[in-house]
Amino acid sequence: MMRRFSSHPSASGTGPRGPRLWSGIAELSGDRAFKAWIEAEYPAAAEFTPTARREFLKLMGASFALAGLTGCEKSTFVTALPYVDQPQDVAVGVPKYYATAVTLEGFAQPVIATTFSGRPTKLDGNPDHPVTQGRSDVFMQAAVLGLYDPDRAQGPTRRGEPVSWNDVADHIGVLRDEWARDQGQGLRLLIGSTTSPTLFRQIDALLKQFPKARVHMHEPVGNGWRRGLTAAAYGQPLDCHYQLENCAVVVSFDDDLLGPGPDQVRRARGWSSARRRDANTPGIQMYMAESIPSITGAMAGVRLVADASRMPSLAQAFASKVGVPVVALPDLTSAEGEWVDRAVADCRDAHGRALVTANGFGSAATAGWVAQSNDALGAGALQRFTSPMQTIASAGTLADLAVDMIAGQVETLVVVDANPAYSAPGSLEFADALQKVRSSLHLGLHRDETGELCEWQLPLTHALESWSDGRTFDGMATIIQPAIRPFYDVRTMHQVVAMLSGQIDAAAEAIVRETWQTKLPGDFEAAWRQSLHDGFVRDTAAKAVEVRSSTTEIVQPFADDGLDIVFRPDPTIWDGQFANVGWLQELPKPLTTLTWGNVVAIGPALAKRINVANGDHVKVTIRERSLVGPAWIMPGQAANTVALYLGYGRKRAGRVGDEIGYDAYAVRPADQPWQTKGTLHKVGTAEVLAVTQLHHRMEGFDFVREVSAEQPTLPPAQPQPSLYPAKPPSKTAWGMVIDLDSCIGCNACVVACTAENNVPVVGKDQVKIGREMHWLRIARYYAGEVEAPRSFFQPVPCMHCEDAPCEMGCPVHATTHSPEGVNQMVYNRCIGTRTCSSYCPYKVRRFNFYDYRNPAESPEQAAHNPDVTVRSRGVMEKCTYCTQRIEAAHVAADKDNRPLRDGDVVTACQSACPTMAITFGNINDPNSEVSRLRRDGRHYALLEEQGTRPRTTYLARWNDGPKDHQG
Amino acid sequence: MTDRSADILPADQSIGKVAEQLAGIPLHFPARRRWLAAMIFACALLLLLVISTAALFTRGVGIWGINIPVNWAFAIHNYVWWLGIGHAGTLISAFLLLTGSEWRNSLNRFAETMTLFAVICAGIYPVLHLGRPWYLYWMFPYPATMGVWPQFRSPLEWDIWAVLTYLTVSLAFWYTGLIPDLAVARDRAKSRGWQIFFGITALGWRGSAAHWSRWSQAYRLTAGLAVPLVVSVHSEVSLLFAAGQIPGWHSTIFPPYFVLGAAFSGFAVVAIIAIALRSWFGLENLVTDEHLDLLGKVLLATGLMTAYGYVAEVFDALYSGGAHEMQTLLDRIGGAYAWTYWGAIVFNFIPLQALWWRRVRRSGWALFLISVSVAFGMWLERYMILVTSLYRDFLVSSWDGFTPTFWDWSTYFGTIGLFLVPFLIAIRVIPMISIFDTEELLHEEQEEKHGA
Repeated sequence: MMRRFSSHPSASGTGPRGPRLWSGIAELSGDRAFKAWIEAEYPAAAEFTPTARREFLKLMGASFALAGLTGCEKSTFVTALPYVDQPQDVAVGVPKYYATAVTLEGFAQPVIATTFSGRPTKLDGNPDHPVTQGRSDVFMQAAVLGLYDPDRAQGPTRRGEPVSWNDVADHIGVLRDEWARDQGQGLRLLIGSTTSPTLFRQIDALLKQFPKARVHMHEPVGNGWRRGLTAAAYGQPLDCHYQLENCAVVVSFDDDLLGPGPDQVRRARGWSSARRRDANTPGIQMYMAESIPSITGAMAGVRLVADASRMPSLAQAFASKVGVPVVALPDLTSAEGEWVDRAVADCRDAHGRALVTANGFGSAATAGWVAQSNDALGAGALQRFTSPMQTIASAGTLADLAVDMIAGQVETLVVVDANPAYSAPGSLEFADALQKVRSSLHLGLHRDETGELCEWQLPLTHALESWSDGRTFDGMATIIQPAIRPFYDVRTMHQVVAMLSGQIDAAAEAIVRETWQTKLPGDFEAAWRQSLHDGFVRDTAAKAVEVRSSTTEIVQPFADDGLDIVFRPDPTIWDGQFANVGWLQELPKPLTTLTWGNVVAIGPALAKRINVANGDHVKVTIRERSLVGPAWIMPGQAANTVALYLGYGRKRAGRVGDEIGYDAYAVRPADQPWQTKGTLHKVGTAEVLAVTQLHHRMEGFDFVREVSAEQPTLPPAQPQPSLYPAKPPSKTAWGMVIDLDSCIGCNACVVACTAENNVPVVGKDQVKIGREMHWLRIARYYAGEVEAPRSFFQPVPCMHCEDAPCEMGCPVHATTHSPEGVNQMVYNRCIGTRTCSSYCPYKVRRFNFYDYRNPAESPEQAAHNPDVTVRSRGVMEKCTYCTQRIEAAHVAADKDNRPLRDGDVVTACQSACPTMAITFGNINDPNSEVSRLRRDGRHYALLEEQGTRPRTTYLARWNDGPKDHQG
Repeated sequence: MTDRSADILPADQSIGKVAEQLAGIPLHFPARRRWLAAMIFACALLLLLVISTAALFTRGVGIWGINIPVNWAFAIHNYVWWLGIGHAGTLISAFLLLTGSEWRNSLNRFAETMTLFAVICAGIYPVLHLGRPWYLYWMFPYPATMGVWPQFRSPLEWDIWAVLTYLTVSLAFWYTGLIPDLAVARDRAKSRGWQIFFGITALGWRGSAAHWSRWSQAYRLTAGLAVPLVVSVHSEVSLLFAAGQIPGWHSTIFPPYFVLGAAFSGFAVVAIIAIALRSWFGLENLVTDEHLDLLGKVLLATGLMTAYGYVAEVFDALYSGGAHEMQTLLDRIGGAYAWTYWGAIVFNFIPLQALWWRRVRRSGWALFLISVSVAFGMWLERYMILVTSLYRDFLVSSWDGFTPTFWDWSTYFGTIGLFLVPFLIAIRVIPMISIFDTEELLHEEQEEKHGA
């Protein structure tokens, strides 16, 4: 990139240094040459409304940047040349797989990266890894798009001007001389969440060189608060691992066990295996007391709505009933009392297989009562404790650092893979404090809010381009190996940190090897190769720590008036790091189905009191700071609790993620980062939110069916008469069964489908008018009172009806029936009459109303699955049961001259699902898993009475709630 | 009818005068300035259509307000509306010709002309509607190298054939009916240009008895073809909806309901045009109050039959007991688009009731306003049938809404331009009331008078 830029004369008038490097589309679009170029290349863009135009620039910007804007060069992504002499180990069109990892909150998420001709296109959980066992979550699935993010920093800059890595090395040399003089007195490192043994080793080495330097850790979401809670409850900071697979009863105090986070996959897997422990009853019963509806609450049999500040009292009452000595009992409402009694009774019946959990965001009192309850219930075997993995013993906090910076004690600040200028609590005034630092270096993927303010921005490699390492939540180490060579002028984090300790040109791999040289047992080379191959280092899981809850007296927090304001990481954008990943922006958030933005979630009672509707702006004031955001009335949210979601309101995330939503960090108090008190007022303005499901009640229909202990099977399906002749019999008949009792609505399947099938991102305005393109939607329904509804998830892909109304409607044979029963879509035959979609009773078809493709030169092109056609404008598309995977399986079986076996074809959604709720296979084979499930008493077809004979069918959900909630 | 025809035209006018009057309209156009103003207005609308179509073809159907689930809206809705309007022309001309209702003679020419251009307006919509209109030809069974044929089970495929057949027969019928008049115009034309134009278009008509007999056979045969086509085309259009399983569409009442609705809206537009032309060109002697009276009655009758369709539809939903049908019924009468349902009922059927009174039927202005109300009401009805069924179909999770965009409206108003421009040209260049038919009718009436 650098060479290309400098080889061209300046067109934007920044002097002889070469064209000005852009740092954001706002800057670009002000450029007259750029505007002229846009008008020439994209005349249609000129007539867009200002918002549409901005959207266009944002989404399409990728290509402009890579094309060099005013230059005439092609991007590296389109100038691929055919092999003259094809390398022996590369076959075009045949994917290669690499075991590596991406990270979330510093924890490794072990993946298998699928690469075509050296380009990673799809990440899936590593099937051999004990944590994921091949399963994944939304962040893992979407990480590959982050690799191709056109807004990544593409070369080092100093105050926004491009420099070379030699300049960087020279400057670090100067800095090192300064540090050497006073043993690094003024040197501070600020590190984001990490578990990398190599980074820890490097920091140790650096601190040995400069003993007076200090390290600070910044975890805007992270496990920091939870470690504080375990310190209070057990006397030492710990990481906690639930063994849900062994539980019979789980009582959760506002703990979204199954919700997004670095441990979601393992927990969801454990929960679902416990849930299916017995064939005829649900194997695990969940009691959930929660303030903000979560996917765990949606799956809980008995759910209590309670404000966040009620949790200590509830936990105390629960503890006293299970035998923990309690001095004074709190007053509970009748509903609360009933819930506690039921939970206690069930826990007693479970005989040591009942686990009590509290969230990592709450008060020490709740955590204390929960710890003591677990000991009283003998739940020791149901959770493991390990020493925290993300911490450096001597590390200070971000608040300490801010104080020191303002006091002028920080000469040099090195920010490693963190974005404190955005994600520091507003009260720390971090951006202002940063001005007082003489020399600042930012190491990060993006020239983000912090990179912008720091003197030096040193771009890092994406995990898929890196040599690094990390640990999964259970401590098992994974060596991160690159699946692609870096295509920008970037270095790994370890290379840059090595520079700080004087190694100028360290090889990326060598640094990581050095870490493991002493740690791997036996022959190093063999063990190293084995670890890279497996995707994890054997026998590295953290050792469990035996602890008992501390018996120090628990101080109940003082009940305060005012609204409980709780902060939550966004379920798709997380702490803001995924703001520029279009797949995650457009992913409907669980329960709200909101895309492209965050909301101030309030309960229905509060909404009624202050008279707001969805989308009305409200002002939330916490101490002296306030923000304005759109309200969302969340059915089942506690009356006095308001939820703010972190991760939005970014200013320098990139073209996709800038200026969407409100910034909750701005009002976040540094001392109460998760739960605080505040006020809320209606403002008077409103906005239209981009939600994908507008209506939430089931309206008395039986889309999601339920069975209960009294009636464990559904009435058998009635044969539906048809005028059509029966289809000729075939050897294979594909079918899918989705178990609604296991689906937690986590969305992993939706992102997996997006990645596998090149599903386009259409942008906020298009979602607003109902044109999202997801082939698979998670329908979400409520039943019952809006104050305390029951929630249901139902993934709806194409039903692949045997008598498909769509096939009858198409005038040109563009949608047809395969001999194996798959309802096919022939894109290049489609003329776009949309009759198929009009006739589809399930409305699972998606239409390319515009040309939603990425521009030809956009780097996102490289993320496409080459086995799936990219659809053009005016064409209908929909779920194909991953037909490319079916065909690949046929080819593989034919090569071996054997019939297809059950499990040969695994659809993308199926392989991603952490709870294994999706089963796919041959329904003509009576021994296949899918056939077995179709014979289950819980089996039913959606809209069966329509006579469409869907091949995608469902297993009813267990209603294991109290009897008075059933029916 | 026959006894009424005895005095539908004032008998005290000379046949030659009538011919002079009618053929003179194109030859010595009486209302040049008004025509020019109307033409400029119509051209502006047509320009809007051109711009809208250009935008559509360059950017895609995304410029409209459609989405999933409402992926059919204005294009199909206006297609049905225009096609419905077109039917009245054929019905008036062909059906009444075959039943020997001579009163049609003052109305048939412009009603047929209206049909032709309304069908053209309807016909462009299925093209505009396509996601990839450049592949329209795939709907035709041409010998493709891949051996792929159209999918003949699709109502859209039937639609293409139905509409093209209908357009062809309408054109043939219209032109056949025009031949004798073109000859009259040729004979009276003074300028060389008009003489050549009418000379060619009159196909050498000399008015011999043999000509008349052949012509009469051909004309009646085409009429005999056209009448069942009206029924088949709009029945077929209704199957576009009824063949789908969507609640509110999936009903056997649809074919007759659509045909009657089409006739209803078509007669309303015929009345609008008749009244406008009559006052414009001073044709009160030929389009008499008696004609208006008859039009009013037909309008009332078809209106009541359409109303029966509404009742039957509600009954259907209630009788079926299907939860989704009931849901759609409730959405229609009380949902977000209830205004289209009630609007359709009010505009279609409330002013219509005034037509029970003879004085209202014979009053040009009253009939005009009622007809405008009906045309608008039927437009709302088509909107209602499309949107209220699609926006909330089976699965609650896919429910959404529909808001037309500027381009939806501009395309629709543009087609009004597409209708008006050729129509205005037609009234400028061809006799708008059938000369020979009127002469014949007048002659018969006078004969009868003499005989009496």
